[in-house]
Amino acid sequence: MSSPLHDVWEAAASSPFSPAIGKNTQFTVGFVLLAIALVLTTIFGLNRSFVNLPVLGVPASLAFGFGAVYMICAVGVYV
Amino acid sequence: MRSFTLASCIAALSSLACAELNLSEPLLSKQVLPSTFTPPQVFKNTNLVRTTNLDKAYPRETINVIIENIDSKPQSEYYLPFDASLLSKVGGFEVRDKKAADKGTFKVQVVGFDAESSTEFYRIHLPEALAPGAQQTISISYAVLSALQPVPAQLGQTEKQYVQYTFSAYAPSAYLTEKQRTKVKFPNTDVPDYTTLPAELNDEKKADPQKQGSTFTYGLYNNVSAGAQQPVSVRYEFTKPITHATLLERDLEVSHWGGNLASEERYWLVNQGAGLKNQFSRVEWQRQLYMNPPTFALKGLNLPLAPGAVDPYFTDDIGNVSTSKFRAGSKEALLELKPRYPLFGTWKYSFRVGWNADLSLYLRKLSTADTYVLKVPFLEGPRAGEGISYARVSLRVILPEGAENVRFSTTVPIVDNSTSLHKTFMDTLGRTTLTLTAINLSDEFRDRDLFVTYDYPWMAGYRKPLVIAMGIFAVFAVTWVLGSIDTSIGKKKTV
Repeated sequence: MSSPLHDVWEAAASSPFSPAIGKNTQFTVGFVLLAIALVLTTIFGLNRSFVNLPVLGVPASLAFGFGAVYMICAVGVYV
Repeated sequence: MRSFTLASCIAALSSLACAELNLSEPLLSKQVLPSTFTPPQVFKNTNLVRTTNLDKAYPRETINVIIENIDSKPQSEYYLPFDASLLSKVGGFEVRDKKAADKGTFKVQVVGFDAESSTEFYRIHLPEALAPGAQQTISISYAVLSALQPVPAQLGQTEKQYVQYTFSAYAPSAYLTEKQRTKVKFPNTDVPDYTTLPAELNDEKKADPQKQGSTFTYGLYNNVSAGAQQPVSVRYEFTKPITHATLLERDLEVSHWGGNLASEERYWLVNQGAGLKNQFSRVEWQRQLYMNPPTFALKGLNLPLAPGAVDPYFTDDIGNVSTSKFRAGSKEALLELKPRYPLFGTWKYSFRVGWNADLSLYLRKLSTADTYVLKVPFLEGPRAGEGISYARVSLRVILPEGAENVRFSTTVPIVDNSTSLHKTFMDTLGRTTLTLTAINLSDEFRDRDLFVTYDYPWMAGYRKPLVIAMGIFAVFAVTWVLGSIDTSIGKKKTV
């Protein structure tokens, strides 16, 4: 029994999907990123300036964005 | 031919005296083909053997037939007539070449020609047209759902259950059938009632049916005209639950970020067996549970999941159902469920089960571009000796947000497919969702796979974290702007 998509599946046998971060490390990665975001946000809060907006704000928001995605996966809501 | 049909009518009427079955409708032979349309008579059935297997809670029919092209041109369309009331119960209709079964199934479709008539047809497309005079052996198999009727319809809690099945001793056919037999395989030898047909109908002039252990054979019948039916009815012991799912909703959620395939199944079950004559006695039930005798109540369900399944849950309208066991193993992970109450005939139970699994077992990436291929079972669900039938299965494959160009293939006969968007946590656009609907399935379709391919661009994957990051950055920017507004009263500070 063969269909075109079955052949496609067989052809891709050597490349199974692997996520960038495995299930077991999602919590660690998420937690560290969220902690970094918190620390950077705190520093920005103490010293709000136009220079600090990109210097601290951009890494803090990126860390929060990725950290939030990994944390929600770690607690079982796989987005 | 007409005289023959007339003769069979009279014979069938006379056979009523022999039948001791309690029937609301008399068993009369009849013609199902509409008067206005008959399929072109380009075939004849040289030899036909039909096997009705009553082992499971739904009868399974297998018709092995040698067809011959009696036309002067090659022919490739073979018709099989069903009454509309029966057609709505027929499921898993598949046709194969008997001599090359591994070549796969033939294309079939349901057609109705005459709006006035209740007869509809399965049109079977032979992959290669049959030359004039040539023969081919085909194997037609299907299951008839909700066809067993418990007689008596109400029983005591520990009694044996008997079910009745009414069918035609002649196989459904739109063509003349030269020779045919119908074999009925019962689950045991306890068959108290069955229709006896007069020996004159039978070509060998033997008692009809012939009994051999738990198998009864109706026939041999010679030259049965197209569309002829000879209803017969059998009643046999079947002290097992007749588990039927009126609806199964199955969700498969693919998460690239989490590397997870989440499965959830929602069942609406009913036991189509006999109801209880008296009130349910918990004491009697608990006492006999120790002996574990056969019963027509549904006590539990076993769901064999693929190895690697984790985090199972079993809930119903009330909440978590604690009477379940999960045995993870290297060959399969078995989820054993016990409903809150035993399901006797006509009783219903609805619940949901779900579990997670590693996505790497089900998803592969193609070497070209950002295309992925997903292989998942179309149907998982309980495995039981007596079988389970599904009136309607609605399968949703929820792909990641931004997946496009979705294609699928499966050998399960589906009736409908659509692609839509499903919005849930952290979504901005909504996740691409493929919905497939199948009707009248049985648990024999458990091993069938569904293949889905989709394109998932590199950028679409970063939509979620970047949207959140942009939102947070906006908060930073607003904080800075608000913080730098000078709201002090009096002179401006000069530094």
